[in-house]
Amino acid sequence: MLAVDVKNIKKTFISKQDTVEAVKDVSFQVKQGEIFGLLGPNGAGKSTTILMLTTLLSITDGRASVLGLDVSSKDKEVREKIGVALQDTGIDNLLTGKELFFTTCRLWGYSKKDSEKRTTELLELVGLKEAADRRVKTYSGGMKRRLDLGLSLVHSPEILFLDEPTTGLDPGSRRVLWDEIKRLRDNGVTIILTTQYLEEADELADRIAIIDEGLVVAEGTSDELKAGIGGDVITFAFENNNDLENAKNILKNTVQEKNELRITVEDGASKIPGYLKDLSSNGVEVSSVSASKPTLDDVFLEVTGYRLEGSEDITKEEEKSER
Amino acid sequence: MVSNRSFLVQLQILTKRMVLRVVRRPLAELPNLIISAFFLFVYDGALGGVFGGTASGTPFDFAKGNFINFILPVSIVSASLSGAASGIYLVEDIESGVFKRYQSMPISRWAIILAPMNVGALRVLLQSSLILFIGIIIGADPAVGNIGFLIVLSIAFIWGMGFAGYSVAAGVKSGSSQGAQAATFLFFPAIFLAPTFVPREALKGWLETAAAYNPTTYVIEAMRAVMVDGWELDVLFRGYISAGLFAALTLTLAVLSARKATEKA
Repeated sequence: MLAVDVKNIKKTFISKQDTVEAVKDVSFQVKQGEIFGLLGPNGAGKSTTILMLTTLLSITDGRASVLGLDVSSKDKEVREKIGVALQDTGIDNLLTGKELFFTTCRLWGYSKKDSEKRTTELLELVGLKEAADRRVKTYSGGMKRRLDLGLSLVHSPEILFLDEPTTGLDPGSRRVLWDEIKRLRDNGVTIILTTQYLEEADELADRIAIIDEGLVVAEGTSDELKAGIGGDVITFAFENNNDLENAKNILKNTVQEKNELRITVEDGASKIPGYLKDLSSNGVEVSSVSASKPTLDDVFLEVTGYRLEGSEDITKEEEKSER
Repeated sequence: MVSNRSFLVQLQILTKRMVLRVVRRPLAELPNLIISAFFLFVYDGALGGVFGGTASGTPFDFAKGNFINFILPVSIVSASLSGAASGIYLVEDIESGVFKRYQSMPISRWAIILAPMNVGALRVLLQSSLILFIGIIIGADPAVGNIGFLIVLSIAFIWGMGFAGYSVAAGVKSGSSQGAQAATFLFFPAIFLAPTFVPREALKGWLETAAAYNPTTYVIEAMRAVMVDGWELDVLFRGYISAGLFAALTLTLAVLSARKATEKA
């Protein structure tokens, strides 16, 4: 049985002022025990898709099921089986971590004794044992995310929905959370996560769907997506704008980004001398050239026509922390 | 894991959690309590000598010799406004996303809505009891005996739940804690367009008409009946009916707006 089966779902918000198609046509399937990543920029429709799958938002059109249960007609049964940590699900800042776990355990049906036991287990699992008796308002951003993750695990769900679980976290906290998510997957939990970080999708997700303007524009494993570009990426950099413009006319099918031109070809390294010869014979000066295997960044650029800006932030944060 | 908690147990767990929130912010409880106690002392001091205090020779003896009995209902009505905190508690949960967390769990949506109302009810009982207690210390003595205190408290409770319903409806409708707080604006017309300082017979003109249409009038009159006059069953009946109808109306509005809030968009 599939963990999640989404068929052509749509979500339209109608207000007095206007009509917004937040999700235009999204389909994908998630197998049990895998991490499935929905990658896209802000406003792409990722969170809306997750809200529909977690029964918090109605589906305008199309169908979706979780573990064979229709999310529209069997919403209560679906909620029994899923764990949810969304961007807009909050945590009560006035309570302590221990009180929050205990309350949530009780709401899930644990007896008082079992709730105490489960609370201790979960506090240890998410590394908050030391901070258990502190009010949540004193927690750091990373601690709150770990608490949020722990609260979604109280009832040992079969499927976990995580909406941008590491947004805003420092690199260290992000790594801790990544390790925790992988460990859950290794223990058989199916995880559907949204992210606007390419590195996160690449690191965590077994399969990725790139979502843009409410549509799934590419889907597959990270390697499949990269292979789908067809070859290597050669990047030419130019110091002079005239050289760049001339090079565009000489090299066909290039994608420009700032002072660089990129071209995707099979066996890139062997073709560089030929390109350089063509450019040189036409008087074009190239300041640097390189060939590389395509990254998810290249895939994203290829299928959407623009770069995912959030991914730059994560790289900068990583560099900063390494310094 | 399958959630097997009954509605009542869920309500109890969520109410307990909300009580913890209230306990953690004790200062938030003080303003309404202080204002209510302030009314009691200031009105007694300022008006007791004119309208029937223990001082001899007062021009108008509305209070039959004990002005505390006469003015205490005004402070109790003021204390019962503390029920309006229900809407603020609920909207805080909506704003912080805690409401959505509970919605994503297989627990009753009505338990999520009723928990803050339960805490509002507890708050009304606690604050009204404290004002009653202060009243007893400074000389309140119901004409019908000590059962009068229970009657006053029960009317205050129903009346306070009316404000709780109103604040929940206003808060959910506006989606902001400011919207829920705006519920306290009702305090001014409720208290001052009523026979607050003198009996209704002493009011005149437009204020007399406004007081006749203000349910607070009948609530205060019912409380005053047991405190000052004795068993006046028709006055008592009108008080309970006014408070009950107000509560029924606002709680219906709260239920309707909450139902809309918990529906999937």
